[in-house]
Amino acid sequence: MLKLPREVIIFIIILAILATLPLYVSPYVTFVAAIALLYAMVVAGYDVLLGYTGQLAFCQGAFYGIGAYTSAILTVKYGWSFWQALPVSVLLVALISAAVGYPALRLRGAYFAVTTFYLAHFMYLIFLNEVSLTGGPLGFKGIRPPEPIGPLSFESIESGYFLILVSFVIIYLLLRRLVNTNIGYVLRSIAQDDILAESIGINTAMYKLLAFVISAVIAGYAGVLYAHFFRLLHPTTFSWFLSEMVVIMTLVGGAGSLIGPILGAAIVTFILELLRFAPEIRYISWAIALLAILMFEPRGLIGFIKRLKGR
Amino acid sequence: MQEKGNYIFRVMNLTKSFGKLIAVNDLSFAINEGERAAIIGPNGAGKTTTFNLITGHLKPDKGIVEFYGKNITGLPPHKICRLGIGRTFQIVRYFPDFTVFEHVLVGAISRHGLRAPIDLLKRQVEDAIEKVGLSAKRNTLVRNLTIVDKKRVELATALTLKPKLLLLDELMAGLNPAEVDECVELLKRINEEDKITLIVVEHVMRAVMKLCNHIIVMHYGKKIAEGTPMEIATNKAVIEAYLGEGVPYA
Amino acid sequence: MESLILTQFFTGIILGLIYGLMAIGLTMIWSITGLPDFSQGGIYIICGYVTYWSLILLKIPYLLALPIAALVGLSLSVAFERLIYSRLRPSGVLPCLLAAIALFFLLENLAIAFWTPKPKMISVPETEITIDLFGMTTTYHRILILIISITLFVIVHFFVKYTKIGMAIRAVAEDKEVAELMGVDTNKIYIITWAIGGALTAISSALISPLYAVWPGMGTLPLLKALVVVILGGFGSVIGALIGGLILGLVEAFGSVYVSAAYQHGFAFIILLLTLSLRPRGLFGKR
Repeated sequence: MLKLPREVIIFIIILAILATLPLYVSPYVTFVAAIALLYAMVVAGYDVLLGYTGQLAFCQGAFYGIGAYTSAILTVKYGWSFWQALPVSVLLVALISAAVGYPALRLRGAYFAVTTFYLAHFMYLIFLNEVSLTGGPLGFKGIRPPEPIGPLSFESIESGYFLILVSFVIIYLLLRRLVNTNIGYVLRSIAQDDILAESIGINTAMYKLLAFVISAVIAGYAGVLYAHFFRLLHPTTFSWFLSEMVVIMTLVGGAGSLIGPILGAAIVTFILELLRFAPEIRYISWAIALLAILMFEPRGLIGFIKRLKGR
Repeated sequence: MQEKGNYIFRVMNLTKSFGKLIAVNDLSFAINEGERAAIIGPNGAGKTTTFNLITGHLKPDKGIVEFYGKNITGLPPHKICRLGIGRTFQIVRYFPDFTVFEHVLVGAISRHGLRAPIDLLKRQVEDAIEKVGLSAKRNTLVRNLTIVDKKRVELATALTLKPKLLLLDELMAGLNPAEVDECVELLKRINEEDKITLIVVEHVMRAVMKLCNHIIVMHYGKKIAEGTPMEIATNKAVIEAYLGEGVPYA
Repeated sequence: MESLILTQFFTGIILGLIYGLMAIGLTMIWSITGLPDFSQGGIYIICGYVTYWSLILLKIPYLLALPIAALVGLSLSVAFERLIYSRLRPSGVLPCLLAAIALFFLLENLAIAFWTPKPKMISVPETEITIDLFGMTTTYHRILILIISITLFVIVHFFVKYTKIGMAIRAVAEDKEVAELMGVDTNKIYIITWAIGGALTAISSALISPLYAVWPGMGTLPLLKALVVVILGGFGSVIGALIGGLILGLVEAFGSVYVSAAYQHGFAFIILLLTLSLRPRGLFGKR
C-alpha cells in the first residue's frame, strides 16, 4: 500500500510520453492511441470485477454500447449538449447495471457468465433492430464532438485524444486508490473464496454488485466518449465480440493487477490495428493467444514477468 | 442440565430435509455462556448441517435459532458473523493467494471497518497470529502451508472477528495425537481468556472428553442423548449408535 | 386461423427439437464437468459449412451428409476435450469456460475469414416437396427433421438409461470420485460424452441449415437457446432437454406471431431468468 517511488517515476514518464504524443506522431497514430485508451479504461474497470472480485461477466460491450447510443440519441435527436448527455447516459448505465446485477449476481460462476453473455447478445439485437432509435445496420451518423468549454474546443483528433487521456488518468487513479486500500483486500478475498468471505462478515452480495456497477459505469462512460470521438456508431461494434475482446485484454495482461489489463488493452489494440490489412488474422490470433495464456500462463503478461523475476 | 443457568444460545425444533432425507429432525438444545460444548455422532448424523443452519448457509424448514435472546433464524452468513458467531469449516476454507498476515487482515478489516487505522489492524492481526502459533510464518502464502497450519489460519481469521460463540467443524480431523493435545489447550485458552463459548463437532473422542463439559449426541438427525462426558460415555443409546465401539472417557 | 395455429405449432415443435438435440450434448457435458460448453456453438457453425460442402460442392445425398457432419462435429468436440479442457479442468470451471468461449470466438472468426460473412444457401430439392398434412402445408424436410430428431432422442435416452456406458456417465455426473472408486474410467467417459455432444450439435446444424442458410454468425443464437433449454430442462436429463426444447420452441413460435416477431429471441432470455429465480435446478434436474 506504500507506493514505491520507482512506480511513481515510471508512471510520470509514461504520462509525459502520452501527453505529448500528438506532437510527434501522425493523427492516425493519435487516433489509434485514443481508441487504445478507451479500451484501457473499460478494461481497468473490468479488472475490478473479474480480477478483484472474481466475477466472469461478458457484458461490458453492452454497457459500452448503451452509453454510446444513449448519448448519441440525446445529442443528435434531442439536441442536448454533450455535457448534459454525458451524466445522464452514465446514470442510465448505472441504473440498468444495478437492476440487472442485483438478481444476476446471486447466480454462481457459470450461470452468471451465461446470463451476462445473453444480456450482451440481447443488447446487440436491440441495437440492430430498433432502427428508428439507433439507425440499425445502416449506422448512426452525424454525432457531433463535445461542445467547446471556453477556449477549449474538441473538434480535432488531438483534442479528443486529450479528453480521453485525462479521463483515463483520473479513472485509473481512482481505481488504484480503490484497490490499494482495505477495500482491495475485501474484493480479493471474495474472488478467492466468496463463501469464506461471507462467513467472516463480508456482505459479498453488496460488494459484487458494487464492482459490477463500477465496471459497467466506466464502460458506459468510455462508450459516450467513443460516440463523440468516432462520431459514427454501428451495431457490430457492440456485439459479444467486444465483450470477449475485453476479457482477452484483461487476461492477456494479467487479471487482478490493474496495470496488466491496461497493458493488455494497449498491446491488443495496436496489434489489431497493425493487422488491419490482414483482417482474417486479427481476432483469430487473439483467440489463440487467450487459449495459450489459459494453458501456459494464466496470470497473463504480468504473471509472466513475475515468473521471470522468480516470483 | 440445559435449562439451568443462563443460556445464551439455543436452537428449538430445528428441522431440515433434502427431498426424502431428513437431515436434521426436530433438534433442540441450549448452550450456556462460557461453555465448551460438543456435538458428536456417527457420520451422516446431521452435525455439519446443523452448523450450516445456525450460520445461515442453509435455511431450516422449521424451528428457530436464538442468540442472546435474538431470533437469528435464516439470516445471511455475514450478518450472523456480525452478531458474534464465528465458524470454521469441515473441509478447511482459505484464501490461497494471501499471505498468512493478509489472510487474517481481511478478518480484521471486516471487524473494524474499511477505514480502520492500519496500526489497529496490524495489532489485531499480530495478536491472532501469535495466539495460534503462526508468527514465524506470517509472510508465507497460505496455499503453501500444511493442512494443519491452514486450519490455524482459518481459526486466527475467525478470532479477529471477536466472536462470542465459535463453531468448530472437525477442526482436529487429520491431526496427530500431539497436535490434538495442543489444539485442546489452545481452545481451552480461547475459551477461558477470550471468553468465547465453543461448540465443536468432532470425531476425535479423546479431545472431546478432555475439552468439553456439555455433549450433545446426534444420530440420523435426532438428538439421542445429552449430558456430561461421564453421562454420555455410559449412555446405552449412544453406545448402540456407535455400534458397540464404546465411547472412551479421558 | 386454424391452420395458422397448426402451422405455428408444428414450427414450434421442429424448432424445439433442434434446440433439444443440441441441448442433449450440452446438458450431459454440463452435468459431468460443470462446464457450459460454448465451443459447441463453434462446432455448430463449422458443421453447417461441412453440410454446405457435402451437398452443394460434393453433391452427396442429404442422408449421407448428416453422418459426415456428425463425424466432423464428433472429432472436433473430442479434440477440444483432449487437447484443452482436460488440461484446464484441474484449475476449475472458469478457465474451461474461458477456453470454451475462446474456441467459439476462434471458430466463428475462422468461418468469417475463410468463407466471408455472406450467407450461403443450401437447398435440398428432394425434400422441398410440399405436402399437405392435417390442413397445413409443410415440406418433407420438416417431416425428416421430426423423424430423425425423435429417433435420436429415443436412442440417446435408452443409451443413457440402460447401457453400461450410459450408467457410467450418470455415475460420473452424480459423484466423480465415487465413480472412479468403482472402477469407472472417467477419461473415457469424458471422451464419449463430448463425442455425443459434438455429433448431436452437428446433426442439429445439418438439419436446420437447409431451412435458414449457413453463415458465420449462425451459432450464437442456437447456442444461447440450447443453454437455456439445458437450464430449463435440468442438468443431465435427456427428457429435460426434449421437454425444455419443445417448450422454448413453442413459446418462440407462438410468441413471434402473437406477441412480437422482432423480439422472439427475448423469450428465451425471459425463460432463463424465470427458471433461475424460481426453479434453478430445472424441470427434471436432480441437484
